[in-house]
Amino acid sequence: MRLTHYNIVLGTVSALALAAGPVAAQQFSCGKTGGNFVFAQEAKVNSLDQHTSSTISTRNVAMNMFESLMTRDENMSPIPELAQEVVEAPDGMMYTFKLRQGVKFHNGKPMTSDDVVASFDRYKKVGILKGMLDPVEKWEAPDAQTFVIKMKQAQPTFLENLSSFSVPIVIVPRENTDAAAMQLKTVGTGPWEFVEFIADSHVRVKRYAGYTPDRRMLTTNGFGGYKVACFDTVTFRIVTEPGARVAGLETGEFHGVEDLPAKAQSRLKDNKNIVLKPLSNFWVQIATPNLSFPPTDNLKVRQAIQAALDMEEIMEAATDGAYRLNIGFQYPGQAFYTEAGKETYNQKNKDKAKKLLAEGGYKGEKLILLTNQDYTNMYTAALVMSEQLKAVGMNVELMVMDWPASVQKQQNTTDGWNFFFTGYGTNTSLGGAEPLRFHSHPFNTYKPKGNVPDAELMTHWNALVDSKSLDDRKAAFARMQARVLDQVLALPFGSLTKVQAVRANVEDFKPFRIPRVSNVWFKG
Amino acid sequence: MTTAVDAAAVAVRKRTFLQRYPVVRRLIRHKAFVVGAALFAIIVFVAVFADWITTADPNRMAIRFRFRPPGGEFLFGTDNLGRSIYARIVHGARLSLAIGLAVVVMNAVFGVALGAASGYFRRLDNVLMRVTDALMAFPPILLALGIAAALGPSSMTAAIALAAVYIPRTARIVRASVLVVREMEFVQAALAMGASNWRILRKHVLPNCMAPLIVQLTFVFAFAVVTEATLSFLGLGSPPPTPTWGNMIAEGRQYIRDAAWITLIPGLALATTVLSLNLLGDGLRDVLDPRLKISQD
Amino acid sequence: MGRYIVARLIQSIPVLILVSVISFGIMKLVPGDPATLIGGPSATPAELDVIRQNLGLDQPFHVQMWKFYAGLAQGDLGTSLLLGKPVLEATIERIPVSLSIALYSMVLTLLIGLACGVVAALNRNGWADQGAMIFALIGVSLPNFWLGLMLIILFSVHLGWLPTGGYVPWQESFYGWLRTSTMPAVSLALLQIGLLARITRSTMLEVLRQDYIRTARAKGLPEFVVIGKHAFKNVMIPVITVIGIIFSVLLSGSLVIESVFSVPGVGSLLGSAVLRRDYPMIQGGLLLVAWSLLLLNILVDVLYAYFDPRVRYDHGR
Repeated sequence: MRLTHYNIVLGTVSALALAAGPVAAQQFSCGKTGGNFVFAQEAKVNSLDQHTSSTISTRNVAMNMFESLMTRDENMSPIPELAQEVVEAPDGMMYTFKLRQGVKFHNGKPMTSDDVVASFDRYKKVGILKGMLDPVEKWEAPDAQTFVIKMKQAQPTFLENLSSFSVPIVIVPRENTDAAAMQLKTVGTGPWEFVEFIADSHVRVKRYAGYTPDRRMLTTNGFGGYKVACFDTVTFRIVTEPGARVAGLETGEFHGVEDLPAKAQSRLKDNKNIVLKPLSNFWVQIATPNLSFPPTDNLKVRQAIQAALDMEEIMEAATDGAYRLNIGFQYPGQAFYTEAGKETYNQKNKDKAKKLLAEGGYKGEKLILLTNQDYTNMYTAALVMSEQLKAVGMNVELMVMDWPASVQKQQNTTDGWNFFFTGYGTNTSLGGAEPLRFHSHPFNTYKPKGNVPDAELMTHWNALVDSKSLDDRKAAFARMQARVLDQVLALPFGSLTKVQAVRANVEDFKPFRIPRVSNVWFKG
Repeated sequence: MTTAVDAAAVAVRKRTFLQRYPVVRRLIRHKAFVVGAALFAIIVFVAVFADWITTADPNRMAIRFRFRPPGGEFLFGTDNLGRSIYARIVHGARLSLAIGLAVVVMNAVFGVALGAASGYFRRLDNVLMRVTDALMAFPPILLALGIAAALGPSSMTAAIALAAVYIPRTARIVRASVLVVREMEFVQAALAMGASNWRILRKHVLPNCMAPLIVQLTFVFAFAVVTEATLSFLGLGSPPPTPTWGNMIAEGRQYIRDAAWITLIPGLALATTVLSLNLLGDGLRDVLDPRLKISQD
Repeated sequence: MGRYIVARLIQSIPVLILVSVISFGIMKLVPGDPATLIGGPSATPAELDVIRQNLGLDQPFHVQMWKFYAGLAQGDLGTSLLLGKPVLEATIERIPVSLSIALYSMVLTLLIGLACGVVAALNRNGWADQGAMIFALIGVSLPNFWLGLMLIILFSVHLGWLPTGGYVPWQESFYGWLRTSTMPAVSLALLQIGLLARITRSTMLEVLRQDYIRTARAKGLPEFVVIGKHAFKNVMIPVITVIGIIFSVLLSGSLVIESVFSVPGVGSLLGSAVLRRDYPMIQGGLLLVAWSLLLLNILVDVLYAYFDPRVRYDHGR
């Protein structure tokens, strides 16, 4: 057996901590304890069952209460959380997890490997990403502190999947694992325990006195790390009106908010009581074409559209200025980031577009942009794109539905629409093969003509999923991204910045993909 | 001299006109009616001649000119995409009135047909009234929301959804008048003389329902305009970027803290339209059918 | 009277069945399903399939419908797909919220609406009459959701007096409840105040013309006795009808206002159930609301009979 690189990563952290000496090695401590922190979040929470809900709104709240064996750190690399160590067999056919000592659930019961087995059993039944357990033959608990996973076949990316924060296999007490989908009791091992959930209004949590923190790190790190509950209670208020979130932040009714409208930011910048916390690269704003319906079945037309677009203008309008231009499906700094296909991006070349349209024999066929109003940035992106395409002589029509209807149309029909507007959030930040999965086959977001996928594309995809070495996978990613952009299988417009903000007396709040309420405290 | 003679001639003609139609005379003496009619006429004029009133394209975006407050270059300012709010208000009038009118027409046709059938044919009555009971047991906005969601958002859908909400109510009113009229002596006499059902309906019953119907339809118009805006506001009316007043309010709501005019101005347009219709309706009711109480919802 | 109430209750059963059939029919036509909402934009189709299985949405529509009616026969309204709790429970826990705001709104409506109407009638064509009627007219003309937004701008954003939204239960803090429910209640009340003021005025005027009022005046009774005892009692009859109608509107029609002020009431529960395709929630919740509206209608008719002895219900309608 050998240690995986995940232990090595962890080892480095502790080594650094020791080397840095007692001053820098100080573990986080709350400047002050107490208070009720009110955080206004934008989207409604459906259920706090983290196994069966993949919405951001659920994760925002639930991931402060639940923990899993492994999770992701600040840079989205896998780290252990409830696991003390993870050992991968050399042939990749077995993983052994040693659990951390002394961890207790909110009901006071110590966590054992039996609870881990039960949690995995439930996830296999109703968990949304249960597909990641397909290559697994079985799991078992040889003793109370050990959990073993045996594989049917080796899967180089297995621990990457297992540590995904998308819909993680959070560990819950065995007695709760009979719950039907969406009905899991909110009892976990995290620093916050559940108090009440009033749908469409708020979720309240309080400090869990029996929490056993992960002392291997100095402070929070991504979804894991050393977590301390400084506040007595935290209230996640659901405030769907952006104007109301802003006003509440200004009056001090809320101490923190997410998704601050950009228009308000310019004014709030000068407000001494408020600190803006921009979280760049929240998602990739994107449109995907319907390859089976004219005129987007025509490569020349798709390339003409690609050539015509001015991404700055689209992103400026869609995000009110909170964006970054970004090539492809990863962000700078991520392991798989590549500029492959750069020449296709943000061309703003009307002449080229007109020429390509002529070459492609475009005769004013209607181009239908399928978008929705629930996500205003998708709607606005479509609106601006339609204006830009009209400027090169295309006949563009907007089809605006609500989100569920637009998804249904995109997934179940191959006619009556040409571009579908969406955003890749979680999948992009997870990195690896995830963001390109949408463009692989068979996958009903990728709609090749006659349901025959592009052969070159699939070669790259297979290499991306199956290659043993990380470098091979990265190279395959670059080739596949280039192919997707060259064939215009997607139009990634740019990356969206989500702005969180807190009152000035809130200390140590670091923006992240969820609002982390641990290791945050009120000054004065 | 000639002008005086002409004026006198006109006056004579006018008097005879008004004498022949005392209703019209009473209407133009009704202050509320006159104010309402004038306001409404202005709105109709704006709607009909939208393209002449403003040459600006209501959907033309100019990101550089976003969030311009009213006054100055842009009369009503610009919205978050730099579109002229003035142009959108003017074109929005057209859509609001068109949808209101469509709802009124559907109400008139189906409401009268169902109401008359129900009031006149006893056997149909029970079934039809249970169906209208059921439709009226739905919260109105919810019913409209469901229908609009089912048919997919469009101006036509919004009109159908709103018609479905108000037709049962109109049918009830028509039915009530039919029940009264049917028992009247002259109708009974016509029946005894062997007049056909159709003839009685057409010649006696329907003309006698006209007054309450016209009043009801005026209020239906007002409610349709408001409810269409509400549907748009909830995201199931005419799909954006169609410049309806409801869409404008919905799109502006996230900027109410920093650019309130985007929401304020379409709301004022909406309120003015509804006000004019209410004034019209009040006048019509006072003159045509003083017994009627204020419309119920 | 008892027989009449029983008859009305029996009559309401086919109506309720029709309500549920109509709503099933509508929901059958609505495209999209709740899985896409639970999954969000980043969900892959495979994830959506798992969600659908979890929610039982992979079953054919008629099976889902059959299950609903089978459950209903046993008094079970089903389980909300998105809230993960029984529809009955989800609705009942919202009722105090909507009801408290509706009552607040009702109190405002009665106080201001009746006062405006009576004052206007007693000052016929005077300045008070004109003022009250213009106010009433504006009330019935302002779209309430827009009025709500304007109140937020004024009282929350500019003056900072009231919170922009949310709801504090009165059991928890009466002051908090008052702060959170005042703007929703006022937005809801304005239209109803307008309606009530107008109907009160016209009824008052009609009553004041009646012979018995003239007789009472001729007998030299003090004016407040004439108005308070004779006129007002008769005004109550149409007013009760209108109150019933207003109350049903307040109970069910507050969807938009609840959404503007983020109030977790019944209206927003059902509205978001439609927008989020939560089929069981729509079916069950709608039945409960429709049922309470029908009961309210019956109550209004009974009260009507009580106040107006001329109305008899011995012969069927």
